[in-house]
Amino acid sequence: MIENLEFAFDGAWRVLLVSLVFGAGLPVVFALGVRSLAWGAGGSAEVSGAAGNAAGKMIAGMCLIVVLAGVALGITIIAAAGFGKAVSFEHGYPTIVAKES
Amino acid sequence: MTAATLILILVIVTALAFDFTNGFHDTGNAMATSVATGALRPKVAVALSAVLNLVGAFLSVEVALTVTNSVIKIQDSSGAPKSDLTANDGYALLLIILAGLVGGIVWNLVTWVIGLPSSSSHALFGGLIGSTIAALGLSGVNWNGDGSELDGVIGKVILPAVASPVIAGVVAAVGTWLIFRVVAGVAERFTETGFRWGQVGSASLVSLAHGTNDAQKTMGVITLALIAGGQWDDTGAVPFWVKLSCALAISAGTYAGGWRVMRTLGKGLVELRSPQGMAAESSSAAVILVSSHFGFALSTTQVVTGSIIGSGVGKPGADVRWGVAGRMAVGWVFTMPAAGLVGAAMWWLGDLLGGYAGPIAIVAVLVAASGFLYFRSTLQPVSADNVNDEWTGTPKAARAKEGAST
Repeated sequence: MIENLEFAFDGAWRVLLVSLVFGAGLPVVFALGVRSLAWGAGGSAEVSGAAGNAAGKMIAGMCLIVVLAGVALGITIIAAAGFGKAVSFEHGYPTIVAKES
Repeated sequence: MTAATLILILVIVTALAFDFTNGFHDTGNAMATSVATGALRPKVAVALSAVLNLVGAFLSVEVALTVTNSVIKIQDSSGAPKSDLTANDGYALLLIILAGLVGGIVWNLVTWVIGLPSSSSHALFGGLIGSTIAALGLSGVNWNGDGSELDGVIGKVILPAVASPVIAGVVAAVGTWLIFRVVAGVAERFTETGFRWGQVGSASLVSLAHGTNDAQKTMGVITLALIAGGQWDDTGAVPFWVKLSCALAISAGTYAGGWRVMRTLGKGLVELRSPQGMAAESSSAAVILVSSHFGFALSTTQVVTGSIIGSGVGKPGADVRWGVAGRMAVGWVFTMPAAGLVGAAMWWLGDLLGGYAGPIAIVAVLVAASGFLYFRSTLQPVSADNVNDEWTGTPKAARAKEGAST
């Protein structure tokens, strides 16, 4: 019982921390992309309906790339788990390794 | 046909039926927010989710046969059935599994009828725990594990059930709050299209993860039954037809669409707008993937519910219907005991009659209960057409309770 509580607590804060980075961080990057897409046009009281400017579109594109990279990582984790593998971050970048335990 | 062959066939059919209820009970987990905000039309949403569940199920190349080990002791650590249960072609073990599966299905259907999102894995585990206690006594249950890792009913079910909605809720609340800050003042034509895409993408990840996780459980259970019945002897692999039928069952269930549950999740808790929908699904996807990466067993349903509530907490001025949320929490507490009681009752019935009659009687009870619950659901139908109606138009019982608790 005590061991289980310790394991659960130990795991819970790690899950919370990493989930905040991916689960809240990536949507915010996405939101930044949406914002820059509307750059130079499109305030909430707009009447013009014009497109945003080019620099804004580029920034939006970069934000999208970051988000897609996160999604690709997510799919890799799902697929790796299905093949009995896991994704390791021990080198700083994700690599697929055999599952522990 | 011997009694053992009959019960083996019934276990396989019942397991696939459970997989089907698992599918439609959990459609809402991935798709409720996208349907509620109008990012996807209801029929398109369930079709997308069904395809992704199918793909996810087939991604399960390495299926762990030890699914039941975290809560009960009917298998050894390699996944093979305990030898004292395998006499007479595994009749004793198959009876436990059959009764447990029926407990899980009945609870899934009851919660579906009242539109309550509850964990399908908890229902399955609850049913199996109940039938195991009936058959082997309290010592047949793995309450605490051996202390070397997070294990047992407490470690794999109860603690995650308490922690996961909170974690998902915090992540979604932070995400929602930041998103609304970032896009404050931006014209709606940019935010609506943008976030709808984001929402569909994150919801798709949840569907895929669901397919890999949940279909595996049924594959494990069926293969365990086959080993116990002497029809399969490789604890390192799952027969292809088992994989195929489980994938099809969960995907068909998903396509059938658990509209009642979806409605509660998408409309009942929070009036969702697409930035919230995206924050909620991203939070769910992240929490599910991160915790499976760290080796924690989470219930998708509880994560998603926490996320949706969090997206209501995080948006300035949004209301969360805490009455509805409270009703869900009560439902979660009852999931394991209720499924367990049905599982135990089914085992006693099966054991009392024994032979051919026992398993047949159990399945007859299941069919009768399912028929009755299906009939109840037709009295207040919820379908793709009315899934998004204003929440006040919900069944009266739900409204009365909500009013009473606030």
